[in-house]
Amino acid sequence: MIVTEALTKRFGEKTAVDALDLRIEPGTFFCFLGPNGAGKTTTIKMLTGLLKPTAGRAVLGGIDIQRDPVAAKRLLGYVPDAPFLYDKLTGREFMRFVAGLYQMPEGEYRARCDSLLALFEVDKVADQLIEDYSHGMRQKLSFAACFLHEPRIVIVDEPWVGLDPKNIRFVKNFLKEKTRNEGLTVFMSTHTLSIAEEIADRIGIIHNGRLLHLGTIAEIKALQDRPGTLEDVFLELTQATDEAAAV
Amino acid sequence: MSQFRSILRAKLRIARHQVASVRHESKLKIGVITVSALGLWVGAYVFFAEGFRWISNFDRTLGAEYGFADILMVRLLGLFALSVFLLLIFSNVLVSFSTLYRSHEVAYLLQAPISFRQFFHARYIECLVFSSWALAFLGSPLLLAYGLHTGASPLFYVALLVFYLPFIIVPAALGSLITLFLTRIFPRLKTRTMFLLGAVAVTLLFLYVRSVLARTEIRDDALLPAFFLDATARVQSPFLPSHWAAQGVLALAKANVARGSYYFLLLLANAMMLLWLAGEVAQRVFYPGWSALHGQDRQRIKPEGRGVLGQLDTALRFVCNPERALTIKDVKLFWRDPTQWSQFVIFFGIMAIYFANLRNTSRYYEQEFWRSWIACLNVGAVTLILATLTSRFVFPLISLEGRRFWILGLAPLSLRRLLWQKFWLSVATTSSFTVLLAVLSGLMLKLEPIYFWLTVYSVVITNFGLSGLAVGLGALYPTFTEDNPARIVSGLGGTLNLLLSVGYIALVVAAQTVILQWRVLERFTSPGVFWVALAVAVVFITCLSAFCTFAPMRMGLRNLERMEF
Repeated sequence: MIVTEALTKRFGEKTAVDALDLRIEPGTFFCFLGPNGAGKTTTIKMLTGLLKPTAGRAVLGGIDIQRDPVAAKRLLGYVPDAPFLYDKLTGREFMRFVAGLYQMPEGEYRARCDSLLALFEVDKVADQLIEDYSHGMRQKLSFAACFLHEPRIVIVDEPWVGLDPKNIRFVKNFLKEKTRNEGLTVFMSTHTLSIAEEIADRIGIIHNGRLLHLGTIAEIKALQDRPGTLEDVFLELTQATDEAAAV
Repeated sequence: MSQFRSILRAKLRIARHQVASVRHESKLKIGVITVSALGLWVGAYVFFAEGFRWISNFDRTLGAEYGFADILMVRLLGLFALSVFLLLIFSNVLVSFSTLYRSHEVAYLLQAPISFRQFFHARYIECLVFSSWALAFLGSPLLLAYGLHTGASPLFYVALLVFYLPFIIVPAALGSLITLFLTRIFPRLKTRTMFLLGAVAVTLLFLYVRSVLARTEIRDDALLPAFFLDATARVQSPFLPSHWAAQGVLALAKANVARGSYYFLLLLANAMMLLWLAGEVAQRVFYPGWSALHGQDRQRIKPEGRGVLGQLDTALRFVCNPERALTIKDVKLFWRDPTQWSQFVIFFGIMAIYFANLRNTSRYYEQEFWRSWIACLNVGAVTLILATLTSRFVFPLISLEGRRFWILGLAPLSLRRLLWQKFWLSVATTSSFTVLLAVLSGLMLKLEPIYFWLTVYSVVITNFGLSGLAVGLGALYPTFTEDNPARIVSGLGGTLNLLLSVGYIALVVAAQTVILQWRVLERFTSPGVFWVALAVAVVFITCLSAFCTFAPMRMGLRNLERMEF
């Protein structure tokens, strides 16, 4: 479960995230939507403990990430939008490194590593240096490493960049199955509204640091008078907020 | 607007923004850097001023009839200019490779409609600034001390400013030219051929250094002034740009405008010619080199468990995770980066030269006074080699995590453990070289037991102090946006680390030298007093090392904990 209570981040005068309250139940696929600079990445960084909130708190699986970061991070997996990895390690060496960071027993690592590399189709290049990988291959390796320690919560920041259509479909289905069958909680930030519409259980729309709306796809769509896609609703909601702010 | 000016203007903007961003840094941090930098500058000035005063005393003892002190000062300045010149060439080879071929901006700039000549000149300016700013900081106290000590003409100070630019342009252009040619040649060679060529080059260099050392060996009967003049005559070659700069500045110190102007114009003409030549070579050679470098066969297969690096996991079984995983990762990244280990080879070169110099056959060695000095200087030499190691290879460790810090930031691992892992990795690797060096040098010099054990103890304890300084300051002043360790080291934090390391070594060596010299000069009233004084010196060295270990580590950890990634 992911809970945020009045989670706030200010950079000097600018409030990037303003008193964000969220409650995402286990086994939920949550999509976090918002225009550029809305506060999505800042929220993710606070959830993962990479940024310290100015106020409020983020709780993962019942553990406050600021109070007990080590315990909270054991539950967490993260896939960034730009997969900066150690270029001079091979894919398999990177997996072993991650297993070491999470203090996984050798047997457990061996049991999972090869199957994950095969699942994300990086097994054939697993013994090559990462610096030779394409962007998509790095992204797939990030996914494989993310699931190595079997996290209960996965945070994914705009994961589709660099992935080909086949892999996008695979990752979508994989994440969806994990939430359905294993109770994994997924928090995904994305601009690809069609995908969000297709897979999300719940959606949050953030704009200028404030949470505009929170609900299921149907609830969000119902905010608009006429029928339309999630994209139509999203654009209308964010535009209306901009106009209100201008007035 | 010309493309060159556009790039330069953008770079100047970036520099201005970086300077402006200092406002957002902690005031304590800014204060510590400013005070340390000023303190080091003033300390260096006092050191050089005292050095010149000491040299002046030679006229009262040795070679007064031919103004030995004056000649020696001039020769030492020539030696300084030559050393700086060679160092600048070397650092420019490294910096220009990363600036011209490896920087992320290069691909962006190359897709623009810009000639390779203009591209090169724009990047060249960056190399110039990066590789030579430290010269201005570290060279200015020496030259100012010389000017004030000798009562130089005001033209001397003007000359320092005027000669500076052409003087740094020459090695920067030479360094860039070497890089352009090497990058054109090396990607086309097979790995085996490259290693063979490298081995031949290192062997030839070693043999050359040995032959030079054999020629300049101090003969006991030789007059000291004659030896110095003979040894330093090598820096006086009229074909060296460093000689032109030194002679020009010295001529203007004596208000000899004609001679000074001649050397200035000679240096300027050569600088301009080399700059033009480098541009023309870049126009023809850069793109084929870039293309070859990025068009290599990228299928580098490294199966798990094969080779020496593959055995690390088994060899380090006794280390717990995550420290083991971090250590294996650090070692693999180091050995797979040629820019890292190629400089490690240079470190071995320094060690080899040092060993080649160790002798105990001199007549001076029969005297207790000199034996004591040699023992103390040996500690200084070994610990300075250690400081070179920690400054170059340990300081950048935290910064090199760079944009990958999210991996560590998300792992269930406290920053304290991360920092101490780097510390112990540093202690374990550097001590294996330097303690061996200390023991071997002690045996080769046939040091008496007291000197021998003091040497070994000092080297062991400074491993901790220097590692603490390098890891702690590396965390206090990280450069996460930079992937090139050479550039990380040449930043303010790296320079501060080097200077503080040298200061720390100076205190360690001074503490034992004072006690040992007093013993030789029979200043102690009884052996008991000597042992007490020695114990105090050892306690002082230990406490100082503990301070140099824990204080920077604590400050570095606090800084990392405050940082947001």
